[in-house]
Amino acid sequence: MAKFVIRRVFWTIPVILLVILMTFGMMKAIKGNPFRNTERNIPAAIQHNLNREFHLDKPWYIQYAYYVKGVFTWNLGPSMLQRNQTVNDIVSETFPVSAELGGLAMLFAVIIGIPLGIIAALRQNSAFDYGAMAFSNIGFAVPSFLTSTLFLYFFALKWGNFTGFPTFGWSGFHSKVLPAIALGLAPMTYFARLVRGTMLETLQQDYIRTAKAKGLRWRRVVGLHVLRNSLIPAVTAAAPLLGYLVTGSFVIERIFAIPGIGQYYVTSVSSRDYSVTMGITVLLSILIIVANLLVDILYGFLDPRTRDLRT
Amino acid sequence: MWVGLALALALTIAGSAFAASHASSKSTTVTISIGAEPPSLDPGLATDTTSATIIANINDPIIRLSQTPALTPLHTGLAQNWKVKGSTVTLYLRHNDHWTNGKPVTAQDVVGSWLRTISPELAADYAYQFYGIVGAQAYNSCDPSKADCNALRAKVGISAPNKWTVVIHLVSPQPWFIQQLSHTSFIPTYLPAIAKYGNKWTEAANIVTDGPFKLASWKHNASLTLVKNPKWRNASSIHVNRINIPIIVDAGTALNAYKAGKLQIDTSGFNPTDIPSLKKLPDWHVFPNLGTYYYGFNVKTITDVNERKALAAAIDRHAIVKYIGQLGQIPAQTFTPQGIANWQLINKSKWLPINGDDTASGLAIAKSYMAKAKNPVMNINLYVNNSAGHVQIAQAIQANWQKLGVSVNIKVLEWKQYLQFLGPPPDSSVGAYRLGWLADYPEDYDFLSLWTCKSGNNNTNWCNPQYDSLINQAVHTPNTEARVSLYQKAEALLTGKNGDMPIAPIYFYVGAYLEKTNVKGFYANPLGTDFFDGISVS
Repeated sequence: MAKFVIRRVFWTIPVILLVILMTFGMMKAIKGNPFRNTERNIPAAIQHNLNREFHLDKPWYIQYAYYVKGVFTWNLGPSMLQRNQTVNDIVSETFPVSAELGGLAMLFAVIIGIPLGIIAALRQNSAFDYGAMAFSNIGFAVPSFLTSTLFLYFFALKWGNFTGFPTFGWSGFHSKVLPAIALGLAPMTYFARLVRGTMLETLQQDYIRTAKAKGLRWRRVVGLHVLRNSLIPAVTAAAPLLGYLVTGSFVIERIFAIPGIGQYYVTSVSSRDYSVTMGITVLLSILIIVANLLVDILYGFLDPRTRDLRT
Repeated sequence: MWVGLALALALTIAGSAFAASHASSKSTTVTISIGAEPPSLDPGLATDTTSATIIANINDPIIRLSQTPALTPLHTGLAQNWKVKGSTVTLYLRHNDHWTNGKPVTAQDVVGSWLRTISPELAADYAYQFYGIVGAQAYNSCDPSKADCNALRAKVGISAPNKWTVVIHLVSPQPWFIQQLSHTSFIPTYLPAIAKYGNKWTEAANIVTDGPFKLASWKHNASLTLVKNPKWRNASSIHVNRINIPIIVDAGTALNAYKAGKLQIDTSGFNPTDIPSLKKLPDWHVFPNLGTYYYGFNVKTITDVNERKALAAAIDRHAIVKYIGQLGQIPAQTFTPQGIANWQLINKSKWLPINGDDTASGLAIAKSYMAKAKNPVMNINLYVNNSAGHVQIAQAIQANWQKLGVSVNIKVLEWKQYLQFLGPPPDSSVGAYRLGWLADYPEDYDFLSLWTCKSGNNNTNWCNPQYDSLINQAVHTPNTEARVSLYQKAEALLTGKNGDMPIAPIYFYVGAYLEKTNVKGFYANPLGTDFFDGISVS
């Protein structure tokens, strides 16, 4: 197990370097002046001053070296747009907010979605099953900006006095409910369908029939045998999902006015804030790598066969 | 027992009601939404209007402008008085302005701050505002890694002969310089705080300011809070104790919050679909925003001036403003906007029809010019940046130009790539493009100088030496009447009947905000800065 983890951590380094290289290449390819935000052209002298300040006057391999050094010392440099903030400031201020939002959304998705899938599978073709799957389809198909706007309009504006939900912001428990549900709705439906599908498949397996024939309690059969095997695809899906949820949803954060990191994934590219783009892309990569690692470790507990394969 | 409990409950309710009303009469709080996180609250580094608004309210601008269309410089700013003699401007600062740490704001603060903004090390975007000062451009253009810039720093024409006087030597007499001083880039900063905290000096715990409000807190991307500065020289005139400023980017969310009563003033912008219903409310306020929305022609592609005049005349400005703009923008027949000093005289040569399509005469004029064109280009690439409003206007103009037999390919580009594409010089495929220009200061030079041959904002390839000489003359003409006459000739060369028409002006900008009917005194000035010091709640 330890060897496995160490090897995986070691392989993270080339992956991060590749991410930096690709991000750097793409940022340079799309061109555009990071400092020109309005129609006003920047006088040549001022452009020189800015290029000098942010190392944009150096050859590309020197700029690349700056980024690599920055990532490995976790000193990601100053933001080109927000001149009094460093990328580290931006990340340390906004990432915890998005992480909390993503975590709550994931919690909602898991707590509601997985039991929904399980019950739907156990009561296949019942009214509950059809109802749950119809709800899943709708929840997955309806875009998040629509659900967010509808939630805000009804639960915060129209019935705000009754529910106590605010119309914007991220302070206090009440402000976290609607965005978490809006963000967690699609993953919830995804988990529900996934778990239901896998459970139905597992329930057909011979060893389940054997267990039933042997006279084991149905609850134990489901809880111990069926569930463990059915959750593997859900756990696989959870890893990258967690990465994306935790780095914030641009749409949800914008509509609920939540000061998260999601907006930067869009605005840093459109404003060509190279240092922020680089920093947050690397952050997302690290998160996904860590999430995948945790999932692989979790596999060992869920499916002992993989444990043997690994060593 | 129940009677006792009921009595206790009644007293508690009455007590809290009393406390609430007593509290509200003691402490007035207003919540104003803004549409973006301010990129920087450093007067030397801020480039956008959101930052400028906050900066202008927590500091004392050197010059405050009147709240009338004339934008007259008032004596209520940091500069109590001034003297303009040729190219020398002398500012006499008031003696009763203090930083929040109690120290007085002095001329040395002003000079030191300005030199900092001009310095090449700071790499300030708005350093060009200072280029009218002797030696400023040279100092700003110096490369500190290649030369010793301190010698050039010493040659910059600003000095503080004593604690309260600032002397400025300009490169030429610029009578509008006093109005230009109202720009936030001229606001002095407390240099010891910058030395101590470096980049972090603008955080609420570190910032030192001298204005009617203090920055009490700044939760990045979430909200700012301003509180009344009790030590401000004119604190008795401020009737609001606390201003909460949540950052709400989405126009729909801001409107929801406004309707729920969580905001008293909404400056976050509006969705076009909401505007027709909002316009009917007494809360709706529209204000002029000094600037022009225009289409530029690539004169190397559309070479015939008659075709350009035809295209400019065919634009149905009235319909665009009414159905797409919807805010009450003013149809533009000239590049110089309404509201610039002496604009009526400058725009004497205006002739472009406003109703290009509504009235047959507008279209007839356009067709007559098109007939005079020798080898007109019948297929034009029209470039716009990717925003719904711009695309809609492009489609409207495509239909207008169709009536002249000209077919238009609308090409939409992402903003930064768009700017790169336009150069100057613009890409050869460009036939026409859209841009806007908002004023830095209310003098026509800020607008007409765009169209000189070497201007970095001239994306038309148009170069007319006669126009250049008129503009060059104007900037050296202190006499207002003579200068206005030069602007008039320049505008005529640009958009007049006998002009070259390298651009087709479309409308003059306006802005809008919502303000609850019991709130008064919020002022959005035509240069894009909002002022809170006049706010009162009834």
